[in-house]
Amino acid sequence: MGEPGLKGTVTSLSSMFPVEEAEKAAKRVEEALEEKRKEKNRLNEFIADNTSLTNLVQKLPDELHHDIMVPFGKAAFFPGRLIHTNEFMVLLGEGYYAERTAKQTVEILKRREKSLESQVNSLKATMEDLKLEASFFDTTALEASEGLVEIREEYVEENSAETESGLVEQDSISFTETDNTKGAFENEEYACILSRLDELEKEEELAAENDREKSEDSFAEVDSKKVEAVDEKWARVMSRLDELEKEELTAQSDEEKDEDQQTDASESKSDEDEQTEVDFGRKNNADHNSRYQTLMHSESTKPPQQRKDKHTTLEGLSNKHQQPDLTNELNCTGLTVEPAPEDGRSISRNMPQKVETLNPSENSSVLPDRKVKFQVEDSSRKEAAVQTKKPGFDSSKAFTGSIVEHAQNLQVLQRQPGTSSQSLGPQPSKPISRFKMQRK
Amino acid sequence: MTSSSSSALRDIQRDLETKANDLSKIQKDIAKNHQVRKKYTIQLGENELVLKELDLLNEGANVYKLIGPVLVKQDLAEANANVRKRIEYISAELKRLDSTLQDLEEKQNSKKDAILKLQQRIQSLQAGKAKA
Repeated sequence: MGEPGLKGTVTSLSSMFPVEEAEKAAKRVEEALEEKRKEKNRLNEFIADNTSLTNLVQKLPDELHHDIMVPFGKAAFFPGRLIHTNEFMVLLGEGYYAERTAKQTVEILKRREKSLESQVNSLKATMEDLKLEASFFDTTALEASEGLVEIREEYVEENSAETESGLVEQDSISFTETDNTKGAFENEEYACILSRLDELEKEEELAAENDREKSEDSFAEVDSKKVEAVDEKWARVMSRLDELEKEELTAQSDEEKDEDQQTDASESKSDEDEQTEVDFGRKNNADHNSRYQTLMHSESTKPPQQRKDKHTTLEGLSNKHQQPDLTNELNCTGLTVEPAPEDGRSISRNMPQKVETLNPSENSSVLPDRKVKFQVEDSSRKEAAVQTKKPGFDSSKAFTGSIVEHAQNLQVLQRQPGTSSQSLGPQPSKPISRFKMQRK
Repeated sequence: MTSSSSSALRDIQRDLETKANDLSKIQKDIAKNHQVRKKYTIQLGENELVLKELDLLNEGANVYKLIGPVLVKQDLAEANANVRKRIEYISAELKRLDSTLQDLEEKQNSKKDAILKLQQRIQSLQAGKAKA
């Protein structure tokens, strides 16, 4: 875990965002929000007036004449009659009046109502943005006051051979543009992975052929068992993908700059998101056998390219781009990983019962249960794998798949739909749409 | 030596005051400009709304204009023409105001630079005096 000779900086968040300034900014946003709220109230009043007027105008022509109290001067009334009940003088604006019937007047009023409502909607949109801003400022102010620190450490590659983590690190490094290469070790690892993938691919093909006759549901069940069975393989692949993603993100750190400021919780949230994304991808596995087969073929023929794709697509996951590719590739890897029975089963049996907490975030099916188990196990494994890498984690890549350290936070995060929805919000819908795209 | 430098200092400070006054005047002008622009923009919007409604009227519908306490009957075509002319006039006014605003902002920036330079001179003079 601890690597000797690591250099790094510890910057307290309060130094980057002074507490008072953050609070002032929060107040400013609050005030702007207040103003917008007042505007909205005014507009709502207008809309109410408009509606009541429309009702009145519609009721007046019901009678030939109405008996009313007519205002006379500033402070007097006299009883009188309202005749010409179908003739209205409507103010069009700028001192212009038009004589209209009741129905025509109602039409004019309806048009005014529409424009009012569009104004209210635009106001609502701006208010939403302001609210987000306010919440961001509030959290930063809170964190700064609590003395949260931002730790940046240089990434120093580890040369341990036995652990998966070591393998993972070096394997991922080989696929980055900017990193220093680590030589022959990566090639070996790469060859190993390739061969394993090929084996799994073949097994998956056989299994898929057998299952093609069965219904989707049953396939899902069979699939899920296979999923459970090959957790270990999947975990390795996933962690590798995570590393790839991280490296890719360094190149795009600009976009992530804002997200840098968020806490570890948000990072682990993103990890969770990625896992749920993976989940969706795997769920899709169950639904489209033939497609996977073709994908796997392509995968076997072009492993390097696929690697790169996985790399980029995982990055896309965190950057919310290229998501169709992501599901594709993830499906590939998921499928190939599935048919390795021996290793996974024992591991899956040791799974803690964190399964239930992750369930709400997924659609109900047999598959998600297993997937969740696998995920948690995956995370725990990655935890072991990645803890050695933790010092290398760059906080500038907030939404990376490096995950894992917060396996126990997965429960907590699940119960914070408000915060997680911010990062998770757009994503659950997107996987579904991605499936649709794939189904085409 | 010191007296001359201190008088120079006072001169510069007086200069600074006058420039600061000019700057505040310019800023007031800019604020007024903004207000007038807002008014004109609202009027423009209202007039466009009126034009839309007038277009929806059939021929022969009565249009009245409120002039003071009097409602005067107007011809539909006449009303249309009047509203259109008013819209053109308001847009022209807005453009004029925009250009004035630009000028004012430029003047404001140049004044700010001049003030900054004066302040720097004052600082250097004071540092020189302190040394001596």
